[in-house]
Amino acid sequence: MFDFALKNIFFYRGRSITTFILTFISTMLFVVFISWQDGSHKSMLENSLKVYTGAIEVYHKGYRDVGGNEYLIRDVKAITDRLSNIEGIEDFAARYETYGLLSSKEYSAASMIAGIEPEKEKVLSSIALALREGEFLNEGSGNCLYMGSELVQKLKLELGEEVSFVGGASDDSFAADIFKLCGTFKTGSFEFDSSASFVSRSYFDELMYADNKASYITIKVKDLDDVDRVNRDIIKALDDEDLESLTWKTLMKSMVEAMEVDNVFGYISLSLFLVVIFFVIMIYGFINVSSRIKEFGVLRCIGLRKANIFLLLVYEILILSTLAVAFAGPIATSICYYYSINPVVIEGIAEMYKDYGIVSDEIPFDFNLFTVSWNIGVIYLLNFLSVIYPYFYINSFRPIEATRHV
Amino acid sequence: MYRLILKMAWKNSFLRPARTLLVILMIAVSMSMMLGLQGLYDGMLKNMIEKNKRSDSGDISLYAKEYRIEKDLKYRIKDADAIKAEIEKVQGVKGVILRIKADGLISTARKSSFASIYGIDLDEEEHFGKFSEFLKEGENNLKKRGAIIGLELAKTLKVRIGSKLVFSTQDSSGEINSIALRIRGIVQTTNISLDNNALFVDIKHVHKFLGTTSDEVTQIAVMGEGTQIYDTLKTNYPNLDVKSFLELQPMIQQMQDMMVIFNSITFFIVMSVVFIGILGVMYVSILDRIREFGIVLGIGMQYKYIRLQIFMEAIFVGLLGYLGGAILGTVLLIYLRDYGLDLSSFSDALEMWGYEAVITGTIKVSYFTSTFWAIIAASCLSILIPLRKIKKLNPIEVIKAEK
Repeated sequence: MFDFALKNIFFYRGRSITTFILTFISTMLFVVFISWQDGSHKSMLENSLKVYTGAIEVYHKGYRDVGGNEYLIRDVKAITDRLSNIEGIEDFAARYETYGLLSSKEYSAASMIAGIEPEKEKVLSSIALALREGEFLNEGSGNCLYMGSELVQKLKLELGEEVSFVGGASDDSFAADIFKLCGTFKTGSFEFDSSASFVSRSYFDELMYADNKASYITIKVKDLDDVDRVNRDIIKALDDEDLESLTWKTLMKSMVEAMEVDNVFGYISLSLFLVVIFFVIMIYGFINVSSRIKEFGVLRCIGLRKANIFLLLVYEILILSTLAVAFAGPIATSICYYYSINPVVIEGIAEMYKDYGIVSDEIPFDFNLFTVSWNIGVIYLLNFLSVIYPYFYINSFRPIEATRHV
Repeated sequence: MYRLILKMAWKNSFLRPARTLLVILMIAVSMSMMLGLQGLYDGMLKNMIEKNKRSDSGDISLYAKEYRIEKDLKYRIKDADAIKAEIEKVQGVKGVILRIKADGLISTARKSSFASIYGIDLDEEEHFGKFSEFLKEGENNLKKRGAIIGLELAKTLKVRIGSKLVFSTQDSSGEINSIALRIRGIVQTTNISLDNNALFVDIKHVHKFLGTTSDEVTQIAVMGEGTQIYDTLKTNYPNLDVKSFLELQPMIQQMQDMMVIFNSITFFIVMSVVFIGILGVMYVSILDRIREFGIVLGIGMQYKYIRLQIFMEAIFVGLLGYLGGAILGTVLLIYLRDYGLDLSSFSDALEMWGYEAVITGTIKVSYFTSTFWAIIAASCLSILIPLRKIKKLNPIEVIKAEK
């Protein structure tokens, strides 16, 4: 049957070439499109995780939903002691966050001010790497403030100038101080750069009366794919109903959902191409089959069963699809691999879409052999589906009737 | 003669009904999907533009020079009432509105966030952009220090109708000032910056709070299409920063451009594949009848009549496919326009990105006209190769040839 199918492919060249070209195009389109879509999503997530949000964060229950000082973590040390023994955690640190008004000589602006452990933040986030002017914080930085570049611009500040702060301390009392601008940063995330400032925890704890207290504990894992397992271990180790340990999937739920929506629209668009291509492959298959009704009638008359005819059609499409995929697969995979290492750069896209959290002009493709494999699998499936109608069409003729077909 | 050709063309179109129906189905399904997709994407953008205009900038907005860069109350428009009265007299202007805005810190008893206070006149906003249509919860009322808050900001602060909050900012004299407000309504404008940051308060209260006079504002928004209004305002107010909607929203301009490119590429690819489909069927259909064509040429029928017949066959198939696609597409577009695509399970993300959870489509006549011409063109082009084959025919040889 296989040899027979091979012979037919060479005999009906027009149909074979068309099916080959269309399968080639759909494979290329599908693999490259999905790689680009997944790559851009992954890049957005990684950029967001790199900037500030942790892969896992531990909160007192109620802090995220209700908020307020009564939902601060009260005994940071007890928790961090337990975290030290968990396999898969690269590092962790406690952060104390509050909102307040910062004022320069002339201007005021609202800001999120976070007390951080500077040395640990170098490992946990990219805020130290995002240094633009001045210097990053250290344990002995005192009242030094490390501020987002957009916020600096808003307050019209220069390095070394003083900034007054007014806010609320952890015991609900009034907190106010004078900070000195020691460094500025630019992560590329517009919202973050225009609203965040950092102070060394050792100083900030005293001001906010927050010793051994934290808004949350941020955790970096060694392998992001292992995040769920590590999170389960953390929950087990903490064994405290008042605490919740959340992975980035929950922390960045909106972004994850946004990507799912984008995927939905991507697949809708792609399905249009695939449906049209499917129809054309089916039409060519049908034309081919309908011009061979007599031949199929003869084959049935000499003893071939319906299953053999089906096998013949399947072999034909299998050979053509495999040939097309054999050409398209490596080319498409190479494109994905190349652009995963050398991302496509669209100048100005980050600036244009800053409100949407886009922080880079680079759009890397995702290189994942599993994804490529299932993409190719879908193309195979569509091609196989395209022989079903022609097969039923042939079987609608009785063998004798088919041999007389004109 | 032509009547006979038409009749033959029609009958021959259905010589192999299964094959013809497959092509018609292919055209209809691909066309309706394409129409649905175009309508959905255009609808998303149209909705976004329309709501952005109604809730914020109108078609044109005027600011004091430097305001858009500095975002400082220091750069505000003086004599706003007089300017408003003048603009209202400009031909084509449908509405003018005054707003005053200041950025600051908003706090509840438990949470704080960044926010912008917008001083607005609710009645005028209603006339300008049907503000009440943005209301998701509560009432459209700013009396007794009432405030209407953006949906995302309300989520961030975990506030509800009746919640109290305090907004603090620097007033016009540079002093830090605070105002206590009560939430009366929550709005979703699908304008990201408003939904994420806005706190709408009665303009009189805001003037008092910020220490500004009643004819001082940060923005004058104008509703009225046409470049003439824009040119007039640019000429009349050289000391103000006059910006059109797309100048204020370059991202939407880029989205529009990208949508046009995307739709054009989709259109081209789909029509190319449709062309290949029709070509295959027409080619085989002609090959099937090659003896027939040989005979009619042999008995003296002119080539131009055969060409016309084949041309009409292709047109019939294309038109039937188009009709099927137009009917299916219209049904799909009407459904998308009236009921939309319900993506409520992703509502958090959509709202964060300025879209509604139910995305509605739009219907444009141009979808149908451009597709019509594309299908007719694809049908006509698909017969060129088969026609060449017939033109080269030697009638005697073809008649003698075994089928």
